[in-house]
Amino acid sequence: MTLRKQFLLVFVFVCQCMSAQSDTIMKLKEVVVSDANLKKYSNSQSVLKLNDSIINKNGALLTDLLHFNSTIYFKEYGRGMLSTVSFRGTTSSQTAVIWNGININSQMDGSTDFNTISGTDYSSVSVKAGGGSLIYGSGAIGGTVHLNNDLAFYDRFENNLKLDYGSFNTIGLNYKTNISNKNWSTQIGISKNSSTNDYKYLNQYTWRGEQRWNQNGQYDIITLSANLGYKIDTKNTVKLYSQTSNTDRNTSLISESETKSKYVNGFNRNLLEYDGDFGRFKTNLKTAYIFENYQYFADNSLKNYTYGKTESLTTKADLGYTLFKAMQINTILNYNRTKGFGSGFGDHTREISSAAFLIKQDFSKDWKNEIGVRKEFTNNYKSPVLFSFGSSYQLSKLYNLKLNLSRNFRIPTFNDLYWEEGGNLNLRPESSYQAEIGNVFTFSNFSLTQTFYYYKIKDLLQWVPGSNGIWTPQNTDKVNSYGAETLLSWRKQLGKNILAVNATYAHTISEDSETKKQLFFVPFNKTTAAISYSRNRISANYQFLYNGFVYTRSDNNPDETINSYLVSNIGIDYDFKFLKSSKLGFQVLNLFNESYESLENRIMPGRNFNMYLILKF
Amino acid sequence: MKLTKLFLIALSTTLFVSCSNDDDTSNEPKGVYDNGFFILNEGSAGQGSVSFSNDDFTSFTKDVYTAANGNDLLGEYAQNIFFDGDKAYIIAGGSNVINVVNRYTFKLIAKIDTGLKNPRYGVVKDGKAYVTNANTYAPYGKPADDAAVITGNTDDYVAVINLATNTYESKIDLNATANRLVLENGKLYITEPYSSTKLLVVNIATKAVETPIEIGSSADCLEVENGTLFVLRGSYGDRSEIVKVKLSDKSVSKITFPESLDGAAFMDIENSKIYYTVNNSVYAINTNATTASTTFILTADIGYLYGFAVKNDRIYIADSGDYKADSKAYIYNLTGTLQKELTVGVGPNGFYFNN
Repeated sequence: MTLRKQFLLVFVFVCQCMSAQSDTIMKLKEVVVSDANLKKYSNSQSVLKLNDSIINKNGALLTDLLHFNSTIYFKEYGRGMLSTVSFRGTTSSQTAVIWNGININSQMDGSTDFNTISGTDYSSVSVKAGGGSLIYGSGAIGGTVHLNNDLAFYDRFENNLKLDYGSFNTIGLNYKTNISNKNWSTQIGISKNSSTNDYKYLNQYTWRGEQRWNQNGQYDIITLSANLGYKIDTKNTVKLYSQTSNTDRNTSLISESETKSKYVNGFNRNLLEYDGDFGRFKTNLKTAYIFENYQYFADNSLKNYTYGKTESLTTKADLGYTLFKAMQINTILNYNRTKGFGSGFGDHTREISSAAFLIKQDFSKDWKNEIGVRKEFTNNYKSPVLFSFGSSYQLSKLYNLKLNLSRNFRIPTFNDLYWEEGGNLNLRPESSYQAEIGNVFTFSNFSLTQTFYYYKIKDLLQWVPGSNGIWTPQNTDKVNSYGAETLLSWRKQLGKNILAVNATYAHTISEDSETKKQLFFVPFNKTTAAISYSRNRISANYQFLYNGFVYTRSDNNPDETINSYLVSNIGIDYDFKFLKSSKLGFQVLNLFNESYESLENRIMPGRNFNMYLILKF
Repeated sequence: MKLTKLFLIALSTTLFVSCSNDDDTSNEPKGVYDNGFFILNEGSAGQGSVSFSNDDFTSFTKDVYTAANGNDLLGEYAQNIFFDGDKAYIIAGGSNVINVVNRYTFKLIAKIDTGLKNPRYGVVKDGKAYVTNANTYAPYGKPADDAAVITGNTDDYVAVINLATNTYESKIDLNATANRLVLENGKLYITEPYSSTKLLVVNIATKAVETPIEIGSSADCLEVENGTLFVLRGSYGDRSEIVKVKLSDKSVSKITFPESLDGAAFMDIENSKIYYTVNNSVYAINTNATTASTTFILTADIGYLYGFAVKNDRIYIADSGDYKADSKAYIYNLTGTLQKELTVGVGPNGFYFNN
């Protein structure tokens, strides 16, 4: 009792809370999750899981899904163009994207372009706030975005087809099939999303008086996925995940006279996984081969291009042992070998090994702790010792208190190390000490999570001009980032009426610790909300996004900002109950015709429309 | 009368490199931006911009283009301004555009937005502008026989622009790389510091590329003084030089700098003195000097010297800044005493005088 009181005293006055948006998981049948550690080692952090019903209500590309449903802030170079994130005020390479447990951030630039990924290719998309380098490696500072394909082992044959047609000739074809029995499980999917993307810029005219529009903004993204699982017996399972994608995109012009350029990029990912469950001893072995490449055509009309490619082999052994009933230990050994070659950085190979040791201990049903350390071994850079400590304490039915402390890092990329000219071999990884406290309130169908965090990030890698005018990366800045996140979810059923509300709010201060200026392109405030209502065959939803203003200059010049914007979408669909389910839907996007941009002069579309058909059979 | 006119035109078109010269006898201001100087700001992620200060520093506007033209876009990577009569021409290389504005009000008159590909610097003669275009760049680190390298090193051209209609008229292919240029006696003299070792010579009447003059690598700033073309070349790891080309017979002589002056960057000639910069320091010698001075007039406490001019007994220096925030321009007297510090736009790279 006194312990509980002290615990309360220590943290309650700091009053931070966080809430995990309740995910409506209704799968009672056996599902093998692709990334067991996401669930196992995230008790002390907040995880927002977006399942396929939410994925289907949003635009196909991940930017749309996460911009409208999470606290993550996006910088988009025009609709469908390069899209990078800032999570908790960190940089675009400080959010790691994890595909079935494997870190897939680009080895070349360290980040992920969220407009090259279609959410429909996955069973679920989860957003985990906070540090995760211990398990997921480089870049897991602001948080991690998890793309998971979970394989189910029961008798089924299911098909899911979604067709979209919208303004600006935006066409979506997303198909997924699940075929499984008790021993085999197969998932095959294809997604193709394209648009001529030639929308008008609201109230913008050229000096000749002509209406301005988004020129050279065409995109076409195609992804093929095939996942296979085989349960050899109750103890042994083998899984193979494979995905190939190609994104063919022109790059939107800022002004009409610019040279039209084009960026083509793609990836191929293969992951072979073995799960062994021998009672107290559990083992998970992964081998992944990931290929990524890009070609940049500075002038569409010419054949010349610059390019970069990396081939990466990762092997991971995760050995778990249950010491006592309430205590588990895991040892994770990781080896990565990446070969990169490109017109910008030559031909290089780097090898990184790491070992991590984790303990999970449940003092009681209500008090769970996680602790771990990790160290990397490579001759590319000096790697810090990483650690993580987390605790979750369920004080009452209503209230869960969480605490997490960790040290995380982001390693230099191929561009940072080897770019010609300017690459710098004497770089340290960016590293952060971070702490967060989360409060989760759950009451019946209502859940509220509030998290307060504080980050101290050092050795931020910045490209700066050198004395001879050549830009070169340096470990320059130190950043302090702190803020609060609130996640709220509520669901109510009254007879045939179902009403659900989900909302997020992030308040972020991320400042250069020397100048005390807010980092540019980090908004102080961002809010999202989604309200959905369904009755019988009809369902309707309303989405709301408020993105506060951002500075575009490091000196926080008040004249150089991007205005805040408020965008709403509304949608309605009707289920004809043909086949298992057949929904015809209609959406109005940017309902109030807001004129907005997320980067200077990268204007986003006004009111536009989309219709879709979802068939399940 | 005719002669004076010709003389005036010649005068107004010769000194366009690091400074521009356009004397007007009356001192009545013709608009808000008369009797002062413009600072061209390259911009980085955002658009380029132009700042203005009057000569006595009593009036300063940080972004004159936006002040005059609202949300019209100047373009990315603003590179150069040249003048003709009442008009100023602002080259934005990243957007393949030249903005034509009234030089005293900065009101947009037209945009020249065809026929340009990475335009760099321009000069004017008889109602026509001659603008170097870098076109495609050779990719770094590829062999010399790579197709893209060959194209990048040979596709630069001079765009000929009709200033009466503000339209692109024709081009002169150079079969080389081109950057800064001057016009003297009907001929363009062109340097390019990265890939070229030659001074290109173009006859604008015949549009013929004449035999180039070998001057060595890294040649950049150039200016004509009394029939001699002065070119500064300052590579790293090799000695900097001022190459003097006597235009009458194309004979070449040199002032080779000592090793301590490696990496000389900018040059401007004013009142029979050659001012040049090495790192963040400014030096001066007489135009008839045969050796370089190693005694600096001033050393600016800045990141990287990115723009330079000497004019009206003042030395103008632009600080590159970090390209993420507004940077600064510094104005000194000729003995190196700081007169004024101005907060300008992102990446200031040049000064242009409007008197």
